[in-house]
Amino acid sequence: MTVKPITKIIFLSVLLSIGILLVVLSCALFHNYHPLYVIAVFLVAPIPNAIFSNLNANYQSDFLSDSAPNGNPFKDFGEFVTGIFVFSGLVLPIVFWHVQLIVFWSMIMSLSGGFIVYASIILFSMFFHMSDDDEGFDF
Amino acid sequence: MDSVTQHHSKTQSSTRDTTMDEHRLFKFPVFRLPKSATVRAMGMYLSGALYAIGFWVLLDAALYSKRVNASLVHVTFVDWVPAICSSLGMLIINSIEKSALLNNDASFMQPSSTTTWQARVVLFIGFSLLATGIAGSFIVLILKFLIKGYNTFPTLGMGVANVVSNASIMLSCIVLWVVQNFEDDDYNYSLAL
Repeated sequence: MTVKPITKIIFLSVLLSIGILLVVLSCALFHNYHPLYVIAVFLVAPIPNAIFSNLNANYQSDFLSDSAPNGNPFKDFGEFVTGIFVFSGLVLPIVFWHVQLIVFWSMIMSLSGGFIVYASIILFSMFFHMSDDDEGFDF
Repeated sequence: MDSVTQHHSKTQSSTRDTTMDEHRLFKFPVFRLPKSATVRAMGMYLSGALYAIGFWVLLDAALYSKRVNASLVHVTFVDWVPAICSSLGMLIINSIEKSALLNNDASFMQPSSTTTWQARVVLFIGFSLLATGIAGSFIVLILKFLIKGYNTFPTLGMGVANVVSNASIMLSCIVLWVVQNFEDDDYNYSLAL
């Protein structure tokens, strides 16, 4: 795959702007600015994973004993919180629609827009993931 | 050019791994189980998603009761108590160090037995809280909705949401427990060498 990094960056920025355009349209066409929270939730979502995955050097309490701890609790907690945020962003327009804060087409547009915003964040970390192992991709 | 050679060497090393690996599960090398680290990460995300389902179903019931509910029964603080019990139980269960539960033999290291005993007591409290949450959600559904005759669906949905919420928090706890007990195979193997 010999795509230049500048092409990837342009593609990702176009994707992100399409997503934000969809969410803003879903607000502005119906004069109801509740779906803007979706963007905030999706932008917050990768932060716990990024913070907690760098704390692994501090947890080596009983490294050589026979009851070696499998895994890294900080990393697990970061992944757990990231899962909570991602699913909250996915489910937020549905809840708004169910409690009649927004109408149906606004829900559809904000759902797809939020999904595109989060997909661009994931693709950014996939394209520029600097790691020595081939798997270990994180959301 | 550089990436091509790197990719070539990588495929070479992976084929060497599959040929030298004697602990395969299937005969054909096509069916390889995913790496335990990937499964672990996926399980963590799944557990977080299940917890988010539990939280949002309950919050949706509360907002529905506040905004569009036409009946006389409303969601109050009582409806939140089972979910709070379940969340506390989940927090307690998954904070326990799992290796503290395993050394149950009467070895010459005496202080480990007290740690094991304490771990079991705390774990028992956690599981009781989780079971209390599930049972409490059914109690709310029966005593607040079904006994008083609110058994048509838009009203009953607020009681059913309570049960769904607590069940999904319990499922999230189960997924988290199972995933935490996965062994990092290659990591432990390299340590034993």
